Amino acid sequence: MGIATLLSRGLSPAAAAAVGAAGALALVALHLIRLRRRQVVVAFAPLWFGDAGAARDTRWARRLRRLLALALALTIFALVLLAAVDPQPVAADQAGRTLVILVDRSASMSARDEPGTRLGAARSRARALVDGLRPADRALVASFAREAIAESGFESDAAPLRRAIDAVTPSEEPADLPRALAFAAAILAGRPRPTVVLVSDGGFTDDARRAPPPGVDLRYAPVGRRGRNVAILSFAARRLPADPSAVDAAVVIQNFGPAPAPIIVEIAAAGSVIDRARLALAPGERRRHALPDVAAPDARLEARLLAPDGRPLAEAGGDADDLPLDDRAFAVVPPLPRRRVLRVGGPDLYLDGALYGLGRTVTVDRLEAAEAGHALGRAGDYDLVIFDGVAPAPAPTAGRYLYLDPSGPGSPFAERGRVRDPVIAETRRDHPLLVHVDLADVNVAEARRLALAPGDVSVAGSFGVPLVLARERPGLRIAATSFDVRRSDLPLRPAFPLLVANALAWAAVDRSATALPRAVTTGTTLPAAEGAPETAIDTVGFHRLGRELVAANLGDARESDTTPAAALALGGRALAPPDPPARRGFVRLPALALLLAAALVLLEWVASQRRWTS
Amino acid sequence: MAAEAAAAGATTAPSVTSRFDEKFLRKLESLVMAIRRTPAGAARGARRSRRVGAGLEFADHRDYAPGDDPRTLDWNLYGRLERLAVRLYEEDEDLSIDVLIDASASMGMGRPPKLELALEVGAALGYVGLANLDRVAVTALGDGAPAPAHARGKGAILPILRRLDGVRAAGRAPLSAAVRGFLARRRVRRRGLVILVSDFYDLGGARAAVDLLRHHRLEVVAIQVSAPDELAPDLRGDLALRDVETGDIRELTVSAAVAAAYVRRQQALVRGLESFCRERAIPCFTALSNQPFDAVVLRMFRAGGLLR
Repeated sequence: MGIATLLSRGLSPAAAAAVGAAGALALVALHLIRLRRRQVVVAFAPLWFGDAGAARDTRWARRLRRLLALALALTIFALVLLAAVDPQPVAADQAGRTLVILVDRSASMSARDEPGTRLGAARSRARALVDGLRPADRALVASFAREAIAESGFESDAAPLRRAIDAVTPSEEPADLPRALAFAAAILAGRPRPTVVLVSDGGFTDDARRAPPPGVDLRYAPVGRRGRNVAILSFAARRLPADPSAVDAAVVIQNFGPAPAPIIVEIAAAGSVIDRARLALAPGERRRHALPDVAAPDARLEARLLAPDGRPLAEAGGDADDLPLDDRAFAVVPPLPRRRVLRVGGPDLYLDGALYGLGRTVTVDRLEAAEAGHALGRAGDYDLVIFDGVAPAPAPTAGRYLYLDPSGPGSPFAERGRVRDPVIAETRRDHPLLVHVDLADVNVAEARRLALAPGDVSVAGSFGVPLVLARERPGLRIAATSFDVRRSDLPLRPAFPLLVANALAWAAVDRSATALPRAVTTGTTLPAAEGAPETAIDTVGFHRLGRELVAANLGDARESDTTPAAALALGGRALAPPDPPARRGFVRLPALALLLAAALVLLEWVASQRRWTS
Repeated sequence: MAAEAAAAGATTAPSVTSRFDEKFLRKLESLVMAIRRTPAGAARGARRSRRVGAGLEFADHRDYAPGDDPRTLDWNLYGRLERLAVRLYEEDEDLSIDVLIDASASMGMGRPPKLELALEVGAALGYVGLANLDRVAVTALGDGAPAPAHARGKGAILPILRRLDGVRAAGRAPLSAAVRGFLARRRVRRRGLVILVSDFYDLGGARAAVDLLRHHRLEVVAIQVSAPDELAPDLRGDLALRDVETGDIRELTVSAAVAAAYVRRQQALVRGLESFCRERAIPCFTALSNQPFDAVVLRMFRAGGLLR
């Protein structure tokens, strides 16, 4: 193969020529300088040369040795230069591909079914891909979980690509495959033969398996050996609306493995175990374990999965669990809410009793019925304004209200007459107003027939006559009873204080919506809140954002299901495996040249020591 | 003799020559006094040569050999040991001493130069000889000048010093050739003592020179002068070594191993000279060029063998 058919992968030919000429000149100059040794006069030279001194060197022999030394130096330099130029056949360049090696580093890639982890196996696979690149191929290493990151630029040299592969670190976030493929397609745009090699365990949702971006040759290199994992899918704690001082907690666990999994679920608060339950999960079984009344002295709760012998599940040595990441989950108990209620109307011991039962965290202000008109102007200061038998005009368009028996022009609901002895026949038990509320057998003497506007909800009614109503508009929430509770036996039932409490909780939801959520999944970006900038939550655990404490969990069933996908289909089309590696010689030319140069350096050193050369 | 007398008067001058000053002369006188205080028998007023039956003082026995004078047989010894041996006597004689100083170019090497000590030692030995009423001539080998006549008496030291003052290390002839030239120019054809001061680098030539002197029935004393920086050189690196006498230039990379090999060869040279002298019963002394000349001379006398 002639020189004309070679292509430089390193130094350009012009640069190589310049460096070669400069280097050769420098070597010759150094050689000439080296010939002019420091002259020292000695009394008796034979003492320095010993028996060898008896054999006088001839001038031509000395010259020959010097020329040999120069030739050695020039040869070594030429070999190093050859390694720097790294010539490759031109024919291979004409078929060069542009590859993005896309390494999945999402949470499921931390599974330990491969030697090390799946990510370690993915790195090995990626390195094999790099080593198998053809001479004219150019590749870029990228990794992805929720976001995609370019770990290198487009390189033809394996060394920087290998370093980039080694730099890929595991993530605790779920994978966003469409986003990663869009990223890869964007950076491949306009490049020859764009190819993406996806190195992953194939753990993607059905939604993520939609058709890939067009124009890209997408290949799939699978990793992962088995799918054995028991995971905490969710863990949450909340204060009971009826008793904000009490907390209930629930943990959802699933066995994704093919074998039954006996486990222990342990819940701790402030480092102390407050609950410990033994469970036996069948293959694929999902189970909810609840603690109805948690005495939580601390705002932090932690749930752990343990082996039957009490050790952490992933360390127990069995085959039940390959992914430790979802064996722990965290929850933050919300603080006691502070609410303000404005009660407008005449004396009503039943209502006052219900408000009193909300506890000391609720502050109640009062206005007489005659001052009802002022209430609308102050509504923004309260979580709930209760109009008891009054309805000041005009009807409000913003705020949170509970109307008891509204009437008149200020009523938010138009009255279409009255109905006597209505029987509560329909209830929407799933509505927040009716949580834990049982309205069966409630006797009502008379109710107004209120008209529902579009979007209004009849939470409870009597054959089409709404008795409990709910209106929800942007910035406006109104709950109402169409009857005077004093003309019913509702205040005598436990349902009444619960209804008032639910109305307060429902109305206050919007007001607390601007606060940070207490529990998130990894990969969530929380908006800027008081004292904290916008923050991406990328690890499982507790996170302090300003003054708020947030618990982050993996909480992704698809990531916890570590069953590897040996084949992957996107948009209904199965992805092909990567091309086989390019054939290479046992030793690459640059390495061979450098080895030869090193050998010559060694030879020159030995020759110099043995005085074969000067 | 008039010149010698004048020279004797000149010993009080503050500086005799640029090389040998009054201080040097005082040291010579002190040296003579010190030598005379050495233990009795070690130094006498005259040199005695070992000749059978020629002297009066018994020296030694040696086995009888056919041709020996039967009168010298020691019959008492035969009576005791039943062994025939002849008695040896030491004979006083009028001794001529030649101090030969190697003035070749190699003697100019070293820090300080070896020639400096060689000249001082030569002058000192000459002065001791003059003080012992011997006939003394100090000759610098290699300068090509005719051999000086033997002088007698302490007053003759000044011409010797003046002659030595002009000696420079420049000769390139081998030691054997220089000695051959000395013998050719020597005016007195008689036995005597030759003190040869040199670095003896050309060991083969030195052997030939000593044998040549002994062939002329001259007793030889060898004094090898070395320079400290030649015994332990501090040269390192890529060098072009030029031999000061031959002018040959050869390149050498002096590593620690090469320097060590040089030192080994230097020591072998000294041992070779000592072995050669021991085989021929020739007194051999070594001196370093940075040693005081009087200490060197005194050490030689105390070691014995130089004058008996």
